This record gives sequence, C-alpha cells and structure tokens, in this order.
Amino acid sequence: MTERTPIARPRARARIVPSGVLLALAMLLDTAVAHHSFAIFDARQSITLHGVVKEFRWKNPHVFIQLMADEDAAVAAGEWSIEMTSPEHLVRAGWKPGTLKSGDKVTLVIHPVRDGSKGGQFVSRIAADGTRIDLPSPRHAAESK
Amino acid sequence: MRTLVTVEKGVLMCLALLLLTAPVGAESPAEQRARAFARLPNWTGQWEIVGVTPDAQGGYVQSLDEVVAEMRKWGPPPYKPDVQVVFDKAAAKVRERSVAAANGTDAPSPGLRPACSFGVPMLMLFSPLMFEILTTPEETAMIFSGREIRHIYTDGRPHTAKDDLWPTSWGDSIGHWEGKTLVVDTIEVSNPPGLGGGDGPVIVAGGGDNDEVSLVATLSSEAHFIERIRMLDKDHLEDRMTIIDQKDFTAPWHIIRQYQRVTRIHRMVHEDCEGEERNPVVDGRFTVAPPPVPASGK
Repeated sequence: MTERTPIARPRARARIVPSGVLLALAMLLDTAVAHHSFAIFDARQSITLHGVVKEFRWKNPHVFIQLMADEDAAVAAGEWSIEMTSPEHLVRAGWKPGTLKSGDKVTLVIHPVRDGSKGGQFVSRIAADGTRIDLPSPRHAAESK
Repeated sequence: MRTLVTVEKGVLMCLALLLLTAPVGAESPAEQRARAFARLPNWTGQWEIVGVTPDAQGGYVQSLDEVVAEMRKWGPPPYKPDVQVVFDKAAAKVRERSVAAANGTDAPSPGLRPACSFGVPMLMLFSPLMFEILTTPEETAMIFSGREIRHIYTDGRPHTAKDDLWPTSWGDSIGHWEGKTLVVDTIEVSNPPGLGGGDGPVIVAGGGDNDEVSLVATLSSEAHFIERIRMLDKDHLEDRMTIIDQKDFTAPWHIIRQYQRVTRIHRMVHEDCEGEERNPVVDGRFTVAPPPVPASGK
C-alpha cells in the first residue's frame, strides 16, 4: 500500500496528477476479477480428451481434474491437469466434490495451455449421447452450437 | 381480624395500582435489545450479485458486453474534464491490455500477486463472491466468500476520528436504519492490493472467459460512499449507492445493484487464495504445475 506523507504538496504539482486516476493504471488488471488470468489457456482452441479420472482435486483456489488421457491423434497420452474454477464457484454451478470420482471414464473439452504442456482449462463434459454438460460461458456456448 | 383483612386488601390494591401505573418503557436492557432485534429485517442466507454469475470454467455466465451494458445504465462517472482525460487514457490502456491478455500476447505485470481482495465498492458492484448479511442492533456484518468482511456499525457512533483512521480496502462504515432500509456511510477506502491502479478504489468489470476486462471507473482516495440497502422481495436485495468524490467528480454518481439468493447451496463456502497454488509464473507467464507430491512421497 502506498505510504502517505503529511507534507503538503505544492498546488501546482497537485494539478499534474489530478486524481486517483494515476498512470499506474498502465500496469493494471492482469487479474482484476479472478485469482489469476485465464489467458494462459488458448481460448481459440478446443480439444477433446477421453480418459479416466485419476483424481478430482477439490481444492482452493482452483479445482483440478487429473485425467489419464487416452492417446489420440491430437492428444498426448498421459496425465493431464485440467483446471476449473474455485470450489465456491463450482458448488454454485451445481458441482460437488463427488461429481467426479477416481476411475470414472469421462470425455472432456478443454482449452489447452499455450505452452503445449499437458494442461488446460475445463470447458465442458460430454455425455454418452454427445451432449455437452455444464453451464457454459457465452464463448463456450457459441462453440457448442 | 377484620382489620387485618382490610390491610391485606389495601396492600393488594396498592400493588395492583403500581403494576397498572408502571411506565411502559421500563424494559430491561435485554428486553430493549430484543425489541430492537425484532425491528430488523431478516436478510440471512447467501446472496450473489444479479448479472455476475461464475461458471465452472473460471469465467462468467454473462459476457463482458452484457456486464458492461448493465453497468452503463448507471451513466458515466461525472468526472471533472481533466480527470476525464486521464480516465479515458487509462480505460483505453486497460482495453488494450485486456485484448492482449485474451490473445496470450501480454505477460503478467512484474511482481504480480493474486487478486484475492475486492474491497469496497467492488464487493457490492462487481464480484463473483457470494455473501451473507448478519444484522444486529449494534452492527451489520457482511461476510463475503473471499473472507472479506464489511463491518457497518449502527450503534449511533460517528466515523472513527481522523487521527485513528487509515485507508483500507473496506473503509470505515457506520450506518442507521430508516425503517427496513439500512443506510451505510463509508469513507477512507483504498484500492485493494492486486487490483492495480492508484490509491483510490477502482471499479472493473469482467465477463465471459474472464480474459477480457473493462475499466468502469476510478475514484480518488477521498471518495465517500452512501448506500441504501433494502429487501425488494424475499429473494432480492437492492443497494442504491451514491459516490461523492469531490476531488474527481462534478456531481454525485448514483449506482443501483441488485442481489439474488444463491440457489444451489445454503451455507457459506469460503475461497482461499493461499491454498494449493498451481499457477506459478515461469518466464513471465502463468503456467499449470502438476499436483504436489505428498510429503511421504507416496
């Protein structure tokens, strides 16, 4: 937090920076409205993972699905870390700690991490009949049409 | 014998007279407090801002455009001309950074720390966090799932004396009840760490995938907030907020926000920014780390 000084500033100087709208705003808002930015994920790409849940890590600040993915033409086999939002937000979206269990066979759509590692942002689950489950954000809804 | 009966009758009559003529207001402090409690509205339960709904992905059900359009109904902040120029530049810069972040072409700021605190007025205007409101005659406490708390003292005290007051993200709040409406007066609000900007609070909106954000307003550290909070119906609350910023504004800025009951959970669940952190910044970029190995190594 900025320290305050009791020393009065000259009036002319005060007009140079007229308000709390300081130029420090230039470095603003990497994470203004979330724990961290989700720009680490490439929202323009969606990939589908088939696999078995190794662990559903119901933890703050973000829940993760550890998925043992099957090999696919576009997907490397092995353990993927699929990031979701916080437990608090998830329960409000209808999820519970037991929604996924170790050993569950699932199909997930994710936005991959930009660095190419085996990680991504959860987008949705795909049910056996092919429909997407979970409440999507507008961008995801547009993708699923 | 007859005399004794007459005396007893007289004593009983005196007692009855005393009871009948006893002042109505002669309640015990406990009775007075119980009566004060009974006058308060019951706002228990969990609440969330209407139009800012978190989804399972880490973003929002509403798009940024939808969120900002709702905020635009408030009208623009009534900035002084010189402040308006600075704000417009800042807002343009935020837009630029926002688009770059969404495209993955912008690195996190050096020394970046997680934004785990919203503060006032963001908690009331744009926050994905649910909250509870506990009303007592002496204080109303607003408890947010990010573990931020607003303490609003309604016991008739004035604001904390200037020599005992310093800026915080939640400011110094006092209030009073006008019928079933809680009137809150808040001063000495600073910008929470992690939000960026200057000393004064900022109002930021996000939406959709949460990559894109918009700067709605910046306020000076002299901003003064007056809120009128009331229940519209059993499932909705409303906050009519007036922001007086004599340093930056030409007039008070009036804002209205509504809150609805959280439907899928009926208890408070807290966030914890210090939990299992798996998004370290490596080479100037956030990354996804593998799950931690248990201490036993198993």
